[in-house]
Amino acid sequence: MARIDDIPEPTRSHILHLDCPSFDSSPFVDGPPLARRRVAMISSAAIHARNEPPFPFGSAEFRRLPSSLDAGDIVMSHVSVNFDRHGFQRDVNVVYPIDRLRELAAEGVIGSVAETHYAVMGSTDPAAMQITADQVAGLLQQDRVDAVLLVPV
Amino acid sequence: MLEARGLPTVTIGLVRLHLEAVKPPRSVFTPFQLGRPLGEPDEAAFQRRVLVQALALLERRDGPVILEDFPDDAPGASDQRGWTPPLVSAAADPATPEVWAAALAREMALLRPAWERARTRRRRTTVGVSGQPPEAWPNFMAAFLAGGLPTVPAHETSALALRFLIDDLKAFYGEAAQANGPAPSSGQIDRWFWRQTVAARFIITLREACLHADNNALRTVAGRFFVPVPYLPA
Repeated sequence: MARIDDIPEPTRSHILHLDCPSFDSSPFVDGPPLARRRVAMISSAAIHARNEPPFPFGSAEFRRLPSSLDAGDIVMSHVSVNFDRHGFQRDVNVVYPIDRLRELAAEGVIGSVAETHYAVMGSTDPAAMQITADQVAGLLQQDRVDAVLLVPV
Repeated sequence: MLEARGLPTVTIGLVRLHLEAVKPPRSVFTPFQLGRPLGEPDEAAFQRRVLVQALALLERRDGPVILEDFPDDAPGASDQRGWTPPLVSAAADPATPEVWAAALAREMALLRPAWERARTRRRRTTVGVSGQPPEAWPNFMAAFLAGGLPTVPAHETSALALRFLIDDLKAFYGEAAQANGPAPSSGQIDRWFWRQTVAARFIITLREACLHADNNALRTVAGRFFVPVPYLPA
């Protein structure tokens, strides 16, 4: 349904004319076989632990999502009202597939699941996210992560 | 950004145009509704297919840039004929903030058992960003309709307090609507909520009032973050 013609106006025009970032280089980092990778997720759905304050509008901050965080303790404070939340209300995995990732690790499809995953506010200007990217990259490397799944909404 | 910092990445993207423009090293376009990158709630096998296709790109050596398409639509995108919307109040719009609050409280009381069942069934609720219990919502909204700017400790401003309360109200109704029987499509829930409920009429009425408020933040929040575009008044 996210084929561009299915998205109602003016959201469609907003998406069509969104100023996407461009990059000077195209790095492509290799790694071991998937069965030996340690996988982390980064969601742009502005999800966070229930006991944390909502994401401020336009925020460049990130939130930690420990793998052990119960789905019942995850809420969403994304600024936009123009994407579906009913799926998230039914099943956290439609946005943040933590159970699926655990299953793939248990089956040996991936090596392991990272200790901590991360969430950001997807509507924030990417140019404002450089410091966040540095911080999150450092934390992922501390956790020995060598595969990052980016999950926008 | 992360790849440049030495971390292999793969992206699941809902807007192909953006994947083509940004050119992430590895990505899978999933043709699903915005807000559902894994496609379908409660469909573990389907979600797994999406995830496996994405993760498999990490073993490819022929990039950058690798962009694949997920081949299937989400199975629950169409309306569910077997779904029956919850009963809600069909009364005419109230005339005063106090009567609006009472009407919303009555409708929420009708839906509360379904919401509780959904919470028990799923062992979770996404209600909670407002920092206020459901019992407090009707009067809090009515206070704005009466021209007030009430606050709560959980939020820095009145505007944000109201914004997140409305998020909670919509989540309460959304969860109640999905408590029983076959799962409705998101469109069915939205049409029921925005066209049939007192809650939605209250939100739209409140939005109109807030658009004329002196408080700039309240005007902005009300104008952009209360009602999804397809359901804005003409």
